[in-house]
Amino acid sequence: MRKPSTLVRLALLVFTAVVVGVVSAQSSTVLRVASTAAVTTWDPSLSFSTEAFYMANLYEPLIWANAAGSDEQFTPALATSWELSDDGLSWTFHLRDGVKFHDGETMDADAVVRSIERHKAIGGAAFIWEPVDKIVAVDDLTVRFDLKYPTPLDLVVASSNGAWIVSPAALDAAEEDASYFEAGIAAGTGPYMLAEYQPDAEVVLRAFPDYWGGWGDVEHFENVVIRIVSDAVLQEQMLLAGEVDLALSLPVTSYQSILDNPAYNVQTVVTPYSYLGFLNTLRAPLDDVRVRQAIAYAVPYLDLIAVGAEGFASQARGPVPQGIFPWSEEIPQYHQDLEKARALLAEAGHEGGGFTLHLTYSAENAIERAFAPVLADGLAEIGIKIEIEPLLWNQQWAVAKDDPENAQDIFLVLYWPTISDAGSDNLWTMFHSSDAPYFNLSYWKNDKFDDLVDEAIKLTGTDRDAAQALYLDAMDIVYDEAPGLFFFDYGGWFAIPTYLAGYEYNVNYPFATFFYPLHLAN
Amino acid sequence: MGLLQFITRRLMLSLLVLFGVATIVFMLTRIIPSNPASLYLGPRARPAEIAEINAKFGFDKPLIEQYGQFLKGLARGDLGNSLATKRPVTKELGSRLAATLELMSVAMLLAVIVGIPLGVLSTRMRGRLGEAIVRVATVVGVSLPPFWLGLLLQLVFVHALGWLPAAGRVDGSLRFTAPITSITGLNLFDTLVTGNFVAFYDAFRHIVLPALTLAAYPIGLITRMTRAAMIEVVSQDYIRTARAYGVAERRVLNHFALRNAVGPTLTVIGLTLAFMLTGTFYVEVIFAWPGLGSFTVRSFLNVDYPSILGMTLFGAAGYVLANLVVDACQALIDPRMRLA
Amino acid sequence: MFAGSLASAATEAMPEARAGGNEYAGGPDSGNEYAGGPEPGNELAPQRSTWQRALAILKRDWLAVFGIFFVLLLLLVAVFAPQLAPYPTMGEGRSSVSTRMQPPSAEFVMGTDRLGRDVLSRLIYGARPALIAPLIVVLLAVLIGAPLGAIAGLAGGWVDEVIMRICDLFLAFPSLLLAMAIVALQGPSLVNAVIALAVSWWPWYTRLVRGVAHSLSRQAFVEAARALGAREPKIMFRHILPNSVTPILVQASLDMGTVILATTGLAFIGLGSQPPAADWGLMIEDGRALLRNAWWTSTFPGIAIFLSVLSFNLVGDALRDLFDPKEYR
Repeated sequence: MRKPSTLVRLALLVFTAVVVGVVSAQSSTVLRVASTAAVTTWDPSLSFSTEAFYMANLYEPLIWANAAGSDEQFTPALATSWELSDDGLSWTFHLRDGVKFHDGETMDADAVVRSIERHKAIGGAAFIWEPVDKIVAVDDLTVRFDLKYPTPLDLVVASSNGAWIVSPAALDAAEEDASYFEAGIAAGTGPYMLAEYQPDAEVVLRAFPDYWGGWGDVEHFENVVIRIVSDAVLQEQMLLAGEVDLALSLPVTSYQSILDNPAYNVQTVVTPYSYLGFLNTLRAPLDDVRVRQAIAYAVPYLDLIAVGAEGFASQARGPVPQGIFPWSEEIPQYHQDLEKARALLAEAGHEGGGFTLHLTYSAENAIERAFAPVLADGLAEIGIKIEIEPLLWNQQWAVAKDDPENAQDIFLVLYWPTISDAGSDNLWTMFHSSDAPYFNLSYWKNDKFDDLVDEAIKLTGTDRDAAQALYLDAMDIVYDEAPGLFFFDYGGWFAIPTYLAGYEYNVNYPFATFFYPLHLAN
Repeated sequence: MGLLQFITRRLMLSLLVLFGVATIVFMLTRIIPSNPASLYLGPRARPAEIAEINAKFGFDKPLIEQYGQFLKGLARGDLGNSLATKRPVTKELGSRLAATLELMSVAMLLAVIVGIPLGVLSTRMRGRLGEAIVRVATVVGVSLPPFWLGLLLQLVFVHALGWLPAAGRVDGSLRFTAPITSITGLNLFDTLVTGNFVAFYDAFRHIVLPALTLAAYPIGLITRMTRAAMIEVVSQDYIRTARAYGVAERRVLNHFALRNAVGPTLTVIGLTLAFMLTGTFYVEVIFAWPGLGSFTVRSFLNVDYPSILGMTLFGAAGYVLANLVVDACQALIDPRMRLA
Repeated sequence: MFAGSLASAATEAMPEARAGGNEYAGGPDSGNEYAGGPEPGNELAPQRSTWQRALAILKRDWLAVFGIFFVLLLLLVAVFAPQLAPYPTMGEGRSSVSTRMQPPSAEFVMGTDRLGRDVLSRLIYGARPALIAPLIVVLLAVLIGAPLGAIAGLAGGWVDEVIMRICDLFLAFPSLLLAMAIVALQGPSLVNAVIALAVSWWPWYTRLVRGVAHSLSRQAFVEAARALGAREPKIMFRHILPNSVTPILVQASLDMGTVILATTGLAFIGLGSQPPAADWGLMIEDGRALLRNAWWTSTFPGIAIFLSVLSFNLVGDALRDLFDPKEYR
């Protein structure tokens, strides 16, 4: 018999080598994670984007906000207690003793003051500190905030952006070199330190031995390796193949198959993300409120939820997401009613529709991509043709801001509040009139609404219920005037392998995943 | 003209071409409505900050001035900073180059190892079923959409069979269990040289599917080219003479014919490099391979000007260089080439 | 670049060392590769007419027959899409939320996608962009490239140099890279993708026609025409361009396959056709997340692309065989 040629032998060798795979098992010291979170900056002041995912493990704020419905509204972090002055203009925080930064510095009032002053000056989310007039270090462990007007400062200091307390030594270095942090330096008090960073590829976190919270209670992970994978499909493959322990963005279409999979526990959560569409109130025919209302009646809300979110969403009530103040069941919402829609159109002089609207959405957003055609089909039912144009987010936003008169008619957007106050954020940011459009991309101007919201913001710090009432009135106006279409509040779900315990989602920090509580289940 | 003159002339022309490339792409990046500042600052940038960034980087200056800045930077070897990662573009390119080079080399190796013998083999089977099979296989190879092939391979080998990993270059926990000492950045080489066989094995398992996907088209191309070249050569007189003299068929093919088929094969290898450059876009995206391809795609989707410029220049330069090398090799082999 | 054709490989290989005749096939890629063909060295075989040779090729090479058949089928499907598709409105993009992600069945032969649309209908409608876009790209490339090549070849001198350098400039980019840059910057859409690809593709045809012009202009009958006072444009139209038709045809049919891969590839990345258009590349990307639960959404479009590219490659091969004078040596 002829000897098999070298080529064949080589092929066989390769084949066997490949098949006899060493599947890397999960270990108790290394947590492997797949996340879409890209890092736009490592600077804790400038940070205002997806890197919050990592920041929440490297840094800590004064207090953490708890999810709605918890016993306590806040959990102490670097501050152990706090009180508000009678006039509502002064907040005093008492700091935790014996806390160290990653670089060995001690956390004290001076560090807090310097950090927050820096955030106020150059922070990506600097606007949250706007109400603050002065920050004073009363003594080593006490900080006082003096405000210009009453504000719920507890929500502000618990913000997921621009509220991290940073080591003064690092702040000094950053003063010398503005890009000090970018190389991959973190100087916080959080349970993990930044060990390694490869842009768009990997982030490695290592446990901070001197963390004030201690490491003894459960067997925490010593190392966390996060692979940045922007593709949900790939993340799913990695999870199922055992390459990662946690995959945080799975395709929504895989929900059922993972639910059926005994190797995973599925947690469903409420997120602060909501999808809405701005209607261009400056242009005909959308300048007529009846046309806008007609469109609101024509939207196939349930279909959008089915296609866009695979059922993982609840229809939005106004621009405020469920679970975040000032959401309430009393906020009115539209339901699909084609008869009413057609009647309104006829009343406005557009019997049977017959005009075309230009819609833009963010090309990177798979959910908008999925439901935009369904929205168009729904509006086609009342005779309105929709031209869909996907643009990259930057371009979509640029076009909308630069020239409102000639911009899109319908602007689809995914929105979430920066702090857990969708009154001062969502309502104000998106619908308060502004001369140069920022996020008010319906370009709507309503004085009564403006007044209600401004007043409510002032009251939130001192009389929440009164503020809520004012917000409800404001949202009634939004309902009647329909400057926007409110689609759905996006729910989330996470697949946690049965061997992993301690995973908890906090709706106030939607971008973050907290690694400290995670450990192997026994 | 001499080989040296040929190369020099081509080199100068190449530089001119690259300059033109740079200008064209630069113009393209500046003539569209976009907002580089908001890419830099994040999705919620405030107008004041945007204005600041525009001033800082000169995005609001007239086109000519920006072009001048760009050229000056180019002369210094400075391509600016990526708007997305805030690090120098050259650094981004450099840190990812090894990954892509490794992928391309392995795919190229595969293509050559499989393609050339297959091409030779098929000429021996003229008129028989084997030849038809090879022909079909090669045409299939050049017709398969690379993005689809990658998905299929993943479906079969990762999902259905579970033999191979889905993404990345190495497993996440490897840095703790068997860390790789990086010498060249080419994992397979570095691990072999340092005797780290566990890591070598892991790296190998990760590169199989991406390399296969990338190699499908080149295998088809190289097989066909070798085959055609061989056929052309085999019909030459001197081959018939060798046969008439009783030289064994195998030796005839491997010794005489193959040598002369090398020239056009080199050309195909040059072309293959070009294909691979763009093939890496799909492959690196599908397999989350941290190389230049995935970086390029992401930069394009983000409209990250400096990165787009840098990557395009780099790609063009690499392509031009590869062509130059191939042409030089051919000029070496075939003096008629130099009559340019 | 995706230069799927060996013809262009040969053109690249020996730009100057052409010995006259059909340069496009001047390289060793020609030759009789088909099973059962005349033995090499059979120089005594009689020259047959083009039609006779075409028939001979079809008789012995079933792959070529398959290729031609499928290309015609594609054409038919593209033209008669509304009549052929079982659910034309779905093919155009109309969603149907109630019928989402159903496996292949009697009602929906290839199943339905994420928006409830019949995959078969979408596949049929997808033949339009799959066929027409590359056709336009190649057509544009030829319309721009061929005349330029003729001018370069005939005029010679600095005109030739300038045109060739501009060619080099565009050839220096891998065409997909340039196309991606243009599309990313101008906005993702099929139209932009087509324009971008055409802009990257024309140099190949310039080189091709220039080669023809170069060799022909040295031949006797052109010299004679010149001596008789014929002006350059006339020479170009009466001699150069007609003689370029066959090499252009071969190159074009091979390029069709490559361009189909490019347009669908761009759509896959997100830089080509946009939803709700029916585009095979787009369908693969849309169905990617569903690969495990609803494999039919990505698989059928993938097969469609593959078969289309395959058949154009086969037709191109057959054409080259047909027009290659070195077939019998």
